Amino acid sequence: MKLLDKYSRLNITATILTFIIGSCTFYFLLNYILIRELDERLQAEQQEIQAYVNTHKSLPDIVRTKDQFTIYEQATAKVNTAFTTVKLKQNNEQEDYREIKFSLLARDKYYQVTVGTPLDETEALLQVIIGVTIAMIGIILLIGFLINRIVIRRLWKPFYSTIESVKNYHLSEQQTLKLERTDIDEFSLLNQSINEMVDRIQQDYGSLKNFTGQAAHEMQTPLAVIRTKLDTLMQNEAVLEKNAPLITDIEKAVHRLSRLHQSLLLLTKVENKQFLLNENINLGKIVTDKYEEFGEMASAMNLEVKVDLQPLTLLFHQQLAEIIIGNLLNNAIRYNRKAGEIEVTLHDSVLTVANTSEKGNLDNAKLFKRFYRDADSSEGTGLGLSIVKQICDMAGYIISYRFYEGKHVFTIIFNQP
Amino acid sequence: MKILIVEDEPSLNKSIVDYLTSQQYLCEQVSNYRDALDKIETYDYDCIVLDIMLPGGNGLQLLQSVKKSGKTDGVIIISAKNELDDKIKGISLGADDYLTKPFHLSELSVRIAAIIRRKNGMGNNLISFEEIVVDVQAHTVSVNNQPVILTRKEFELLLYLVINKNRVLSKNTIAGHMWGDDMDMADSYDFIYAHIKNLRKKLLAAGAGDYIQSVYGMGYKFALR
Repeated sequence: MKLLDKYSRLNITATILTFIIGSCTFYFLLNYILIRELDERLQAEQQEIQAYVNTHKSLPDIVRTKDQFTIYEQATAKVNTAFTTVKLKQNNEQEDYREIKFSLLARDKYYQVTVGTPLDETEALLQVIIGVTIAMIGIILLIGFLINRIVIRRLWKPFYSTIESVKNYHLSEQQTLKLERTDIDEFSLLNQSINEMVDRIQQDYGSLKNFTGQAAHEMQTPLAVIRTKLDTLMQNEAVLEKNAPLITDIEKAVHRLSRLHQSLLLLTKVENKQFLLNENINLGKIVTDKYEEFGEMASAMNLEVKVDLQPLTLLFHQQLAEIIIGNLLNNAIRYNRKAGEIEVTLHDSVLTVANTSEKGNLDNAKLFKRFYRDADSSEGTGLGLSIVKQICDMAGYIISYRFYEGKHVFTIIFNQP
Repeated sequence: MKILIVEDEPSLNKSIVDYLTSQQYLCEQVSNYRDALDKIETYDYDCIVLDIMLPGGNGLQLLQSVKKSGKTDGVIIISAKNELDDKIKGISLGADDYLTKPFHLSELSVRIAAIIRRKNGMGNNLISFEEIVVDVQAHTVSVNNQPVILTRKEFELLLYLVINKNRVLSKNTIAGHMWGDDMDMADSYDFIYAHIKNLRKKLLAAGAGDYIQSVYGMGYKFALR
């Protein structure tokens, strides 16, 4: 729920409650005051009648008016003066009246006098108050709604613009974060904090990147020394004659070490999103090229290769695309069996690489993990598939594996965001 | 052919110099920015082998000063930095090639040979070894002036062997050159054997001597018996 909605909801509830409580109080208070006023008038009437009786010793004539009536009744005893509200039928309509009943002694006889006056004024008042209350709640809600729509939306604009800038910010593009200036303290505090944080992160990122670069340099130079020294050593026929297998082993190890090192660097770079996916690449062509590159391997194993490609252009990264395709094809060939099959299809943004193998179903949970290798294969770095997975994750592509009709099937869905 | 080696790691520098010297190049070596700048300003070289990270300065700056002074020295950058932007930067500043450490010396020598060939323009496209002549431009090979038909891979292999003649080249090194470092070695050994076998057969049939020698099962050497 938006802050604005939450706030509005609270606000509206409180407003409605306040108005209802306020209106009730107002109504009862006014009702009370008006009734007292009526009672005073009735009392004054009583006193008038009393005074008339006292002077003339007889009851005054009844003057019936629209808003008052008087009734004399003979009574046997004296009654106490009392105010009551009664309903009387008049012209087929029920109406409320306020009455005073009191006793008079005239010509030695007790009379009970009732003076009444209609209450329709107060009823009208009630209606007015309810009407006004409903109208005011309506107006308040309308004004609140308009304020939210126009003013608050405008007030929050800097906030949303900041959010938008942060969303579009990419650390690896090394751009500066531009935040809109605002004269609202809270938002300028937010912007300032974000700017400081981004500066810190950029520094950390820079030093991390430097470290990676330096580490690579520091490790690769000794590797280069070992490799070149080996090359030199190899030229010495006397050494070679005795130590050819040793030198071959060392060379293999060095080769593997440098490949491992490069793969790890690549993984780190992909993880840090140091690649910008802004190149238009032709995936079909990459598959064809890579297949040609590996063709020799495939034909050496007598593999039957079926390639069925539809053209697909992606906004991706050439080098990374080559790595994905290369690793998948390389695996499909390497882990195949003699005279096996490979099927590569590219249809509707879905690439499938399927190959026969001597091995059964692979462990889906471990397959894409770093340094996962099948127990009896010692070749390879164990990083190939995890690099593919990492690149796919970074680019938002979905890679999956299944074992289907005796084939290992890798599927990548290239959904463009 | 004069080559300047700019590399701060002394043992690596020495290995490169030894290897290239054995290939009849005239090598000079420096190990820091200052000395390199002096050499570059004073002399002309056919090719400069340039490391990027140097004590006292950056190799790319040296590259800039080479290009600024209008020299035509070929430049090959050797760097531990496998960063793509460095590579692009180096090439855009006018470097002729870029090689990432660790590399094989034979690979370096092939790249240097290519740079020097390009620099000297046409007419120098022929590399010969005894009766074998390789035309790099036209991608043709002849033995005793008779053309020999080779596949693309066989041609690449022969060129590589001829440029690195008299050197022992391990199967691993050859695989790296032919298929790139990404290919696993065990896979490529069989292909190397097959290509070597075919190449040798074709050269012998064309009347050339048997120059491809197997060396203790670990590699090959292209040399006179």
